[in-house]
Amino acid sequence: MKWFKNLWQTLNTPAKYLTLGSISLTAFLMGIMFWGGFNTAIQATNTEEFCIGCHSMESKPYQELQKTVHWSNHSGVRATCPDCHVPHSWGRKIARKMEASSDVWGWFFKTVNTDEKFESKRLEMASREWGRFDRDDSLACKNCHNYDSMKWDDMSKLAQKQMKRAAEKDQSCVDCHKGIAHTLPDMGTARAPELIAEVGTGPSKFDDGEEYFTALTKPLFFSSNGDVEAGTLNVATKVKVLESKDNRVRIAIDGWRKKMGAGRVIYLEFGINMLTAQLTKDAAKTEGVINGFEEKEDDMTGLKWQRVETELWTDAEYLITEQQPLWDYARDTFRSSCSVCHTQPDEAHFDANTWPGMFQGMIAFVNMDQDTQALVQKYLQQHSSTFVKEKH
Amino acid sequence: MTAKQLNKDIDKKTGEKKKLKELKALGFIIIVLFPVLSVFAIGGYGLIIWLIQVFGGVIPH
Repeated sequence: MKWFKNLWQTLNTPAKYLTLGSISLTAFLMGIMFWGGFNTAIQATNTEEFCIGCHSMESKPYQELQKTVHWSNHSGVRATCPDCHVPHSWGRKIARKMEASSDVWGWFFKTVNTDEKFESKRLEMASREWGRFDRDDSLACKNCHNYDSMKWDDMSKLAQKQMKRAAEKDQSCVDCHKGIAHTLPDMGTARAPELIAEVGTGPSKFDDGEEYFTALTKPLFFSSNGDVEAGTLNVATKVKVLESKDNRVRIAIDGWRKKMGAGRVIYLEFGINMLTAQLTKDAAKTEGVINGFEEKEDDMTGLKWQRVETELWTDAEYLITEQQPLWDYARDTFRSSCSVCHTQPDEAHFDANTWPGMFQGMIAFVNMDQDTQALVQKYLQQHSSTFVKEKH
Repeated sequence: MTAKQLNKDIDKKTGEKKKLKELKALGFIIIVLFPVLSVFAIGGYGLIIWLIQVFGGVIPH
């Protein structure tokens, strides 16, 4: 502490021997040297050599880039790592550098140091990059590519149509152009990968008697090991696990069905067309699969509804413990997808039986996989005026 | 040696010491303290922008 006190004393009194000239000159020179040095250091971390200094970046993304047009093309202009992955404005660049300090963490703990580890994290990492591009409408692309400079005549008819529409609303490039510089994450086999990345695949062991929610639309089976499908279970549906066996679980599903035909569609509530499960005709007719209880008539349609309970088997996966993450994902998807073209209506603007028609009428305009579609529709119904009374 | 000469000698010695102290202080400030503070300030600025972007969308460029 003594040295600090001494130092403070010296600093706090006017200099007696050093001249004002020499002090200000050193301060000025050091200022220049520091600022220069700092920017040189930042610049050094913004080079490709620095990026591929890590084995995981050199062996995967860098090699993949070399197969693309962003590496080599007839005009001889190429994109380096930071051109796309680091913002160009000073403030956001510094913010990105701070954010990237977590990469040092990943490097230190060898998060993606092998091929397998990299591949298993590829979707997560790609989703993060896509998110970054989404947030600023693909500014990184637009630093070079410009809608105004596109020569429409050189494009195919279809490309022209698509690009002109995108140009009109200054659309984000990665909305369509994903996987152009690096290999696309495996999305062909996996269903609704972004949804699953968000909500997880669920626990590996299930507690009997506990309630779970489906994270995807799931097949139903008659037994724990048979291949015969008994129907499908809709996404975000509450089920009760009764027992686990052979990688499957026996689940109890309750709901209501319309007393017409085979009555193989089970809905969430009386009078509300919110899909819970859709059984095959065989399953619906098989004795003991669907157990019927009390009946009620819907005054609106004159249809008779019956409360039912059913017990069937499903694969012991994609059953999660909470419903809220599903709704959160659905809400974000609803807001971002619909607002591309128009202001999306409030969830509670329609009732649960109006939403499906409304939603299905619009679905052709957006790129949404089946699972996400089913989830968003269910989200809208669940948050419609039927259930959220106070709003409308 | 006269008393006057002796006094001058002592003055010179403490003067040398004081000058060294001032030089050290100056060196400490410009080589260690201010660069460290600057890095922290810029880092903090980056962190704030990052956090704003996390919660409230992109900063206009």
